[in-house]
Amino acid sequence: MNAVNQTQISRVCHIVKGEVVEGAELEYGPAHARFTTPALKLDDLVWSRQAPGPAFDTPLDEILDILGELGRWLERDPEGLVRQALENAIRNNPMHPRVMQRSYEMMPRIFDRERLMVQIDNELGGKTAVDGWKPVTNLLSGRSAAMRAFPARILHIIAGNAPGVAAVSIARGAVTKAVNLIKLPSNDLFTAPAILRGLSAVAPGHALARSFSAAYWRGGDDKVESLLMRPQFFDKLAAWGGDATLRSAKNYICPGFELVSFDPKTSISMIGREAFASDELLAEVADKAAADATLVEQLACASSRYQFVEGTQEQADRFAELLQQRMGTERQLASAEGRPVPGHLREEIDGLRVMPDYYRIWGDYSGSGLVVRSEEPVDFHPEFRVVNVVPVKDLRDALRFVNVATQTVSLFPDERKIELRDLLASAGAQRVTCIGASGGMEGGLAHDGFLPLARLVRWINDEG
Amino acid sequence: MSPKRKFLLDLIDKPDEAFNICESELGPLRLAAAQELFEERVQQIPLLKHRAEEAGISRIERYEDLVPLLFAHTTYKSYPASFVEKGQWERLLKWLDALSVPDLSGVDMSGVSNVDEWLDRLWAADHRVLATSGSSGKCSFLNHTAGDQDNKRRHFKYAAAWPVQAASKDRPVFWMGQVKGPNSAVEAGQFAMANWGREGAIFTLTQEPLRISEVSRMAAMRKRMADGSATPEEIAAFETESAVKGARGNEEMRTFADQVLDHRHEPIYLIGFWAQHLAIIERARERGIADGDFHPNSIIGAGGGVKGIPLPPDYKERVNTFYGNVLRPGLYAMTELSQPMPRCERGHYHIPPGLIVLLLDDSGEKLLDPVGLQSGRFAFLDLAYEGRWGGLITGDKVTVDFASKCECGRHGPVIHDSITRYTQLGQEDNIGCAGTIDAYIRGAIA
Repeated sequence: MNAVNQTQISRVCHIVKGEVVEGAELEYGPAHARFTTPALKLDDLVWSRQAPGPAFDTPLDEILDILGELGRWLERDPEGLVRQALENAIRNNPMHPRVMQRSYEMMPRIFDRERLMVQIDNELGGKTAVDGWKPVTNLLSGRSAAMRAFPARILHIIAGNAPGVAAVSIARGAVTKAVNLIKLPSNDLFTAPAILRGLSAVAPGHALARSFSAAYWRGGDDKVESLLMRPQFFDKLAAWGGDATLRSAKNYICPGFELVSFDPKTSISMIGREAFASDELLAEVADKAAADATLVEQLACASSRYQFVEGTQEQADRFAELLQQRMGTERQLASAEGRPVPGHLREEIDGLRVMPDYYRIWGDYSGSGLVVRSEEPVDFHPEFRVVNVVPVKDLRDALRFVNVATQTVSLFPDERKIELRDLLASAGAQRVTCIGASGGMEGGLAHDGFLPLARLVRWINDEG
Repeated sequence: MSPKRKFLLDLIDKPDEAFNICESELGPLRLAAAQELFEERVQQIPLLKHRAEEAGISRIERYEDLVPLLFAHTTYKSYPASFVEKGQWERLLKWLDALSVPDLSGVDMSGVSNVDEWLDRLWAADHRVLATSGSSGKCSFLNHTAGDQDNKRRHFKYAAAWPVQAASKDRPVFWMGQVKGPNSAVEAGQFAMANWGREGAIFTLTQEPLRISEVSRMAAMRKRMADGSATPEEIAAFETESAVKGARGNEEMRTFADQVLDHRHEPIYLIGFWAQHLAIIERARERGIADGDFHPNSIIGAGGGVKGIPLPPDYKERVNTFYGNVLRPGLYAMTELSQPMPRCERGHYHIPPGLIVLLLDDSGEKLLDPVGLQSGRFAFLDLAYEGRWGGLITGDKVTVDFASKCECGRHGPVIHDSITRYTQLGQEDNIGCAGTIDAYIRGAIA
């Protein structure tokens, strides 16, 4: 029976300007995860520039009311769509089912009015510029002028590794009043359509609902993307990018069609020598470092993968051992047991066993946590709850391993952030946190080095 | 070499018989030889011992017992890249030693300044270490002994053009790869010349030795470009150098293509990559030479990984049409394998007695049932190696026909001519926010 279930073909629906479109004209996916979609009608997926988008002039308060309703609808899940999306995500995602479930439980909060207002205040300077033209009164010439955070036309290429990505993208598109086409990722075909169906359920036919479409096509398909990715139809490509996504998208980026890239990132931790002050403190720091490493089962960009320890090899080994012991702990966004380390990574790690003088390994391949200590960062990408601990004489020695692909640096002790944060930022890092706080990403702060809402609108002047 | 293995390997001297032994006869012999080999190697190679202990395997009684003992192809490049970047040659030696049967600790590495010199020292001490081209930026190093190389040369002599033509040293040989250097493609060229070449009629595309340090220098430069320590002018110099090399290569290719075309009316031996054949066709078009104008007894081989080289979709048809009715032996080979598999008249690859083919599931963890047609990950135990453990899981997806007879009438199982790389199968477009963006910052995207 299992075999039958595995080969069952999923039916994916499209959302076209708020309306559900069913159909199974097209079929995609690898043998074990086939799915069908309706035929792709490109004409229906673009909004003419000859008319403003449906919600361009909808008051923000009205939008926030609807989003609040949407959050409650997602909690209630009256049509079972959220459950279906969750089940699908569990099937197609390496994330542990319990962690996936808790991620889904956190989703409604993304649509909270208060939370969204903080983002609007911090990123767009308040709602005046969203709802209309905000006067600019301090020009040197004395001219009168106004600016509006004008709604944009956004093509979203979203990531499918966490359901929050679909929700956050929809929330951002909604509060900026944009028109939005979401390209569904094959690893999360159901979350965005479920949220958009919720939007139509709580506000049938409303301008906000009509501002959203979601469809699947194979990422990088020239026949689709060369037609859609044009400044005549869209202003922005908001891409949560895998390599392949951006490889394809770069062909189409041009003046008038801008890339807003949430690109793949790696995160690290830095453990200062102060951690070795006592055994209790070291254990506490290791526990927090373990939380950073296992965050979202180490599937997120903010999950710590390399941890630089200021001390001798022996000290790094002491830390590594404690770290490994604390990795198998159930946390809000981490399971205790993880999922088995896949073959390709096992092979890499087994290769290291050839050199016991150079590498030391704690833990096994069960997936609950494995730590490799080495003199230099390992050449492979640590994932599936694998952490690479590297001793350094001075935390500044770790700066050469920081580049623009480094998102979060979680650091102990807190006060050394002051010494290191400018250097880290200069090297390319985008976020410095206390150890254990990698997961505290919050709306209203910068993301990957920029303010997303400010990039997702077009700043237009009315000059006197 | 242990006797049970030697017996199986020596069968290749009579290839028509060697490739026609039924599985029921070969199976027990292979298992016994595998046990003989395992018993010896498990004492010599720590990683094999670790694997055996972890899986609780003390004897090879079934093919399943071999699966946990196979190394990944990445094992042979598991050294930290910093060993090469920082010139830590003693450490690199120690790493290779741990994967080798012979003791390498006595090889003197003092004064070595690059990886070619490191390899030279090993060769000078008769450790014939092969390096891969390192298209991923990091070379694999695989030790093999002089005896391993002799066995491989013999295997090529009898198997390389089986069953279409037996080797005799009487024809012009055209070799499109390098002819000097510690690399299996170079080795194959040397074997071709030794086994087929007529005195004075050996043509090579280049006499420049393959420099592995060149490969690692380029990899190191790409890394420096990624971490931002390369200056704009260094990047410009690097890009210019690559362009100059490309242009010089084109000029050499044109001269070589002329030599091939000048000999097209006698039986020649010509092996190269698909892209190189396309270059010969281009030159032939310029000279107005029509399709199918080659001597029918010519041996023409095309292949090699297509490793990211953009080729027109019909490249195979173009090459086949151009050479027309010639002899086309085929060989399924790779650096890690000393007993490549020749292709029969029906286009299926036959397995030599000294090679145990293990077809695994996609993840490389379970042995697939040996019934009917099965597709999966290609793994093997090459019983020939004296220099290292010959058990390996590859990145190739193959289809094996386990039927007792091949369509050609000989005994099976055989491998179909539909080999693909797992990494090339087309990544499903799963997108995540975690990962590395080395590719972008290296400049590969911009």
